[in-house]
Amino acid sequence: MAQRSVARSIAHVGLALTLAFGVLAAGAGYWQVVRSEELSRAPENPAVAVAAASVVRGEIIDRHGNVLATNAKYAKGGSYRVYNDRAIAPVVGYASRQHGSAGLELSFGAELTGLSDSDPIRNALRKFQADPYDPQTLTLSLSLTLQRAAIRGLGEDSGAVVMLDPRSGEVLVLASTPYYDSSAIANPDTEKDGWAAVADNPAQPLLTRPTQGRYTPGSIFKVVTAIAGLGSGSIEPTTTFPNQAAAEKNGLVVSGFRIKEHPGVAAKTLKLVGAMEVSSNIWFALAGLKTGGDNLTEYAEQLGFGASLPFDLPTAPSQVTDGKGSAPGGFKDDVELASAAFGQGKTFVTPLQMALVAATVANNGELMRPRLVTELTGKAGTRKIAPESIRRVISQADADAITAAMLQAVEGPLGRQFTTGAKVPGIPTAGKSGTAELGGSGEPHSWFIGFAPANDPQIAIAVLVERGGRGGARAAPLAGSLMKAYFDTVAPK
Amino acid sequence: MTASAQPLPRILGQIKPRPRWREARLLAIVAAAILAGSVSLELARHSDETAATAGFSPAEPFHLAVYLGVLVAAHLAQVLTGRRTDQVLLPAVGLLGGISLLLMERLPQDLVVQRFFGAELGLADVQLVWLVLSISIATTLAIVVRSDRWLRLYKYTWAAAGVALLLLTFVLGTEINGQRLTLSFGPISGQPSELLKVILVVFLAGYLSENRSLLVEESTQIGPIAIPPLPYLAPMVAMWAIALGIVVVQRDLGAALLFFAVFLLLLYTATARPGYVVLGVLLFLAGAFVMYQLVSHVQTRVDIWIDPWKDPAVTGYQVIQALYAFARGGLVGSGLGGGIPTTIPAVETDFPFAALGEELGLVGIMAILGLYLVVIERGLRIGAAAGDDFRSLLATGLALVVGVQAFIIAAGNLKLIPLTGITLPFISYGGSSMLVNGIVVGLLLALSDKGVEPPPAPKPPGRLARLTRRGA
Repeated sequence: MAQRSVARSIAHVGLALTLAFGVLAAGAGYWQVVRSEELSRAPENPAVAVAAASVVRGEIIDRHGNVLATNAKYAKGGSYRVYNDRAIAPVVGYASRQHGSAGLELSFGAELTGLSDSDPIRNALRKFQADPYDPQTLTLSLSLTLQRAAIRGLGEDSGAVVMLDPRSGEVLVLASTPYYDSSAIANPDTEKDGWAAVADNPAQPLLTRPTQGRYTPGSIFKVVTAIAGLGSGSIEPTTTFPNQAAAEKNGLVVSGFRIKEHPGVAAKTLKLVGAMEVSSNIWFALAGLKTGGDNLTEYAEQLGFGASLPFDLPTAPSQVTDGKGSAPGGFKDDVELASAAFGQGKTFVTPLQMALVAATVANNGELMRPRLVTELTGKAGTRKIAPESIRRVISQADADAITAAMLQAVEGPLGRQFTTGAKVPGIPTAGKSGTAELGGSGEPHSWFIGFAPANDPQIAIAVLVERGGRGGARAAPLAGSLMKAYFDTVAPK
Repeated sequence: MTASAQPLPRILGQIKPRPRWREARLLAIVAAAILAGSVSLELARHSDETAATAGFSPAEPFHLAVYLGVLVAAHLAQVLTGRRTDQVLLPAVGLLGGISLLLMERLPQDLVVQRFFGAELGLADVQLVWLVLSISIATTLAIVVRSDRWLRLYKYTWAAAGVALLLLTFVLGTEINGQRLTLSFGPISGQPSELLKVILVVFLAGYLSENRSLLVEESTQIGPIAIPPLPYLAPMVAMWAIALGIVVVQRDLGAALLFFAVFLLLLYTATARPGYVVLGVLLFLAGAFVMYQLVSHVQTRVDIWIDPWKDPAVTGYQVIQALYAFARGGLVGSGLGGGIPTTIPAVETDFPFAALGEELGLVGIMAILGLYLVVIERGLRIGAAAGDDFRSLLATGLALVVGVQAFIIAAGNLKLIPLTGITLPFISYGGSSMLVNGIVVGLLLALSDKGVEPPPAPKPPGRLARLTRRGA
């Protein structure tokens, strides 16, 4: 019997085991190098909690140099967080030993405790230093002055205000009402009552409305329809619809369902500018049908819909439709598409998302990543976070056409009636109001999005007042006064 | 029997001291590495940073001295008896054991408390006892074993003993954490499946070497694929059934996977026929699928593996904490004593790899994987150089037991495969594991000795082969 020696197959087995151990090494490399940074910074990583218990957190400072969050010595050892103003609670959140953390205190927990340096090279070298923890001070683009003004303006209502620089994505205001006392939660002596005041409160003060609240948009969504229509080439600024004028009176029949106009729109043939000025539901329903569900969904996604926004705080995704339908774009049928086109479909949006829609138009069609943190400062120095373009959504020409329409909606003789008070005196102002009908008997949500100056935009805004009535009644005047406050106190002269 | 014609072996052979310079040099490096580790641990104690992290304990110099002393004694014992055994295996295993000891020193000592004649022993105390016993067993076997007949001739006896041990665990085993793995006799308790893996290798080496020619040359043709002769499939099916039985009754996925993988690899070594491996893998997949459908324990493990973040606070907790530990370690690690390994439940038995990943970093993980490859390479080399099929297969099987087990638990720690609760050889805390790995190393050393009794002359085909031939 001629038999081969087993030595050869032993070599094969050795090769197989070597390969298997190579896979182990690759697996270790994946977790220890590729995913290391992300997992080490995860707020759930116990190292973050351990560091939080022993390290004095870095401070948080606004764009004017106001200290928003600092530390106080606790009589029984250690330190706790103190916050400058309740108005910043929705942005900064809280860091408590007992109740965990929220807001930037949570999402930048690793940097504030110094557990992680945002610079990967310094992060790797950190392990060789005697004192590896270098708590970072965060400098925000937030303006405490404007944030306070926004909270005051919302008053007793529940609502949200977002203001950002459309050119850089820097967020100046991220207001949410009702708000809460984050210092009371962070202070070990008062944390029990401080927490009890917010935990089961039916008004949901812990819900950060600009980023986490999802609302029916109403007519402000017409700006998204215009972006999708012009961007996809489905409509032109001069597009008219032959059946539109008649439908203003009698309603537009779509697949047997009659879509009605809101009162106050004359039966006259409109183009984009006129339709935006009088906020014609019929014109935008026809524009939406012409654009098609696919294009509407796709352009909305380019604006950030359909996923969490790349932001410094967690955001709820906005949606054009629930996507359960079989028609193009996930719509159920043309009725849903036509209704969505003027903001009354199964569309739900966050105020931050709608502020980005206004900012994209303002920034000549280019969407910038929204951000709060502009600088991280530690012992090793300061790292600036540069503006970052997400993508160009539409061409400058299309953005200009929509700007002209939004300018007319604020400054035109008919538009003024829907957006009373949004105009910043002496500065060309562009915008769109929205009245989100919710069905039933309650007041609608009051919306406004806009930007100014229309010819050289420096500030974009979204205002939402829950159950605030018509857009022109509540949100538009608040937006106007906040933009005026921006030009009076914050804008570089 | 041809074996009876062999002269009786003298228990210790001729005693004539012979230097082992290579081993001495390697052991010096090992000692330096362990000392460096203990210095690093001592420095961590004086850093402010670790004061805040819970669960740190400093190294006990006495422990390290004892351990290094035992390594030197093992070396000297083989020098004095003039053994010509492999000189790399002991240093490689010694360094793995040293890493184990440093890790157990560093973990909180109250993770394990054993009372022994009134004295209270902590984690590192007990682990040191196991390490010393393990190396003593290895050395004793390396010196005393001068013949393989006691293994070669009684393979069916060994197999019977193994099955008996298994059945005894099925019936009398104590259930711990939902697994029926531990067998207790009064104060002494152990996990028989650890010993079973060595018995399995001894039996398989005997069976396969005897029937090798038949398994290689005959085949049954089914369509385009040639599969092994059907009568010889019986052991494969039996192995498969035993593995499934271990999964169902003992809920020990790791041991089942280990046994079946070692069996398949040994079968391939003996026959060089990939068809066997393909068939075995198909059987494995079929079994795994059925087990997943029927056994909730298996289902849970697989579901956690697919997405531990689905339930991060309860079922996925352990796996996620291990991944966080690896991530914290990064490239160079936090240094011994600089991490927070106690956040991982059962870190000392099931997750020492993750704890070392945190404190030694990717660099340390590579070094540990390299050490296992050295152990495997030495074992396979001993197998390839052995004089006959039985010794080749035995050495290969012993190397595989260590290598495959290390792979299974390391891959489980890294979420490459579902987690199974088996030990990391030479590193995990645990008596049964340490002692059995001592036996493995001892047998490998004995098989590597150029001075042992030569293998018996080739025998005619095995008993089973003769029986089936007669029948055909």
